[in-house]
Amino acid sequence: MKQYVYCLTERMNDLPSWRGVAGSSVYALEVDKFSVFASDFFGEHVRIDRENVLAHAAVIQQVLNHTTPLPFKFGTLVTEQQLDNYVSATREALQSKLALVRGCVEMNVKIISSREPARATASGNEHETPGTAFLFEKRREIRGEEERAAEAIEIAAWLEAQLGDIVWETQINPNRLDTLLVAVAHLVRREAVEEYRARLKEARHERPELHFLISGPWAPYSFANIDLEFKTHFGVS
Amino acid sequence: MSLSPETPRPAEPEIDTAHPQEFVEQLRCLADSLPSRINIDAQSVEQGLAKLVLTLIEFIRRLLEKQAVRRMEGGDLSPEQIEELGLALMRLEAKLQELKTQFGLADEDLNLDLGPIGRLI
Repeated sequence: MKQYVYCLTERMNDLPSWRGVAGSSVYALEVDKFSVFASDFFGEHVRIDRENVLAHAAVIQQVLNHTTPLPFKFGTLVTEQQLDNYVSATREALQSKLALVRGCVEMNVKIISSREPARATASGNEHETPGTAFLFEKRREIRGEEERAAEAIEIAAWLEAQLGDIVWETQINPNRLDTLLVAVAHLVRREAVEEYRARLKEARHERPELHFLISGPWAPYSFANIDLEFKTHFGVS
Repeated sequence: MSLSPETPRPAEPEIDTAHPQEFVEQLRCLADSLPSRINIDAQSVEQGLAKLVLTLIEFIRRLLEKQAVRRMEGGDLSPEQIEELGLALMRLEAKLQELKTQFGLADEDLNLDLGPIGRLI
């Protein structure tokens, strides 16, 4: 049997009863100076389906109602020994991450630009040889990506200017390919969430060419980066 | 009930957009690219290693492409050299595509989260 882990927090002493992935009871393991929220998992595979994803998110959201957790990636299965090893090896980093997110939540802004992207000019000669045509096509792609990245950074900076000091940390994820231009995650103090929404509501009128999706508050997924990923991939602790 | 050091307000998530359909389409594309399961087993170890190696190759391949385009724009390559370089990069791209297919990896899989620095590609 393994533990399915949801998130890690500063020590919490008493808990309500929650159900997690596969309907199992969620409990808090006391590991070093932390509480790790987990449930028993008897299978070998964690299926990515609606029910499991929602159960995983619901546990983290419940914990977020009490304290700001560092979430684990969906599907993380560990033994208690692996968890002990992981926590003892990363204790200071975890404490520092918890200090960073303490009292904060993550707010997300996703932006689609309705403006037609500027197309870099194609090569002049349509009858180029394959290698040359390939390089010209690459040049067009690279220029397009650079333009999109520059636009994403400009928009993120504009957003930051609108939100001012209520944003503690920002994570910008420019998107090179799809119509979604940029996804920005902001770390915001809990008491500033309403003001954050109000400022964004005001700001989006200034940029009618942009379509916004604002969501949150969420656990600080973009700022936690609890890296069990390599351990999950390689099965080592 | 909770003796957490914090005493926060409950965090009720909300989603606000005037263009739900556009965002649903984008998120659906993302969901379609997710694997159907996550697991620690011999196969996922092999795939994890392949993902890491191919990500690094993809990163280098993109650098080579950019360097080639820069040299082409700089005018220091003859038409024959441009053709040769283009063909070499085209073959490299095709080979990488073949390896990705072999290991069941999609384009979006070839990336690394470098934490505060961002993503590799």
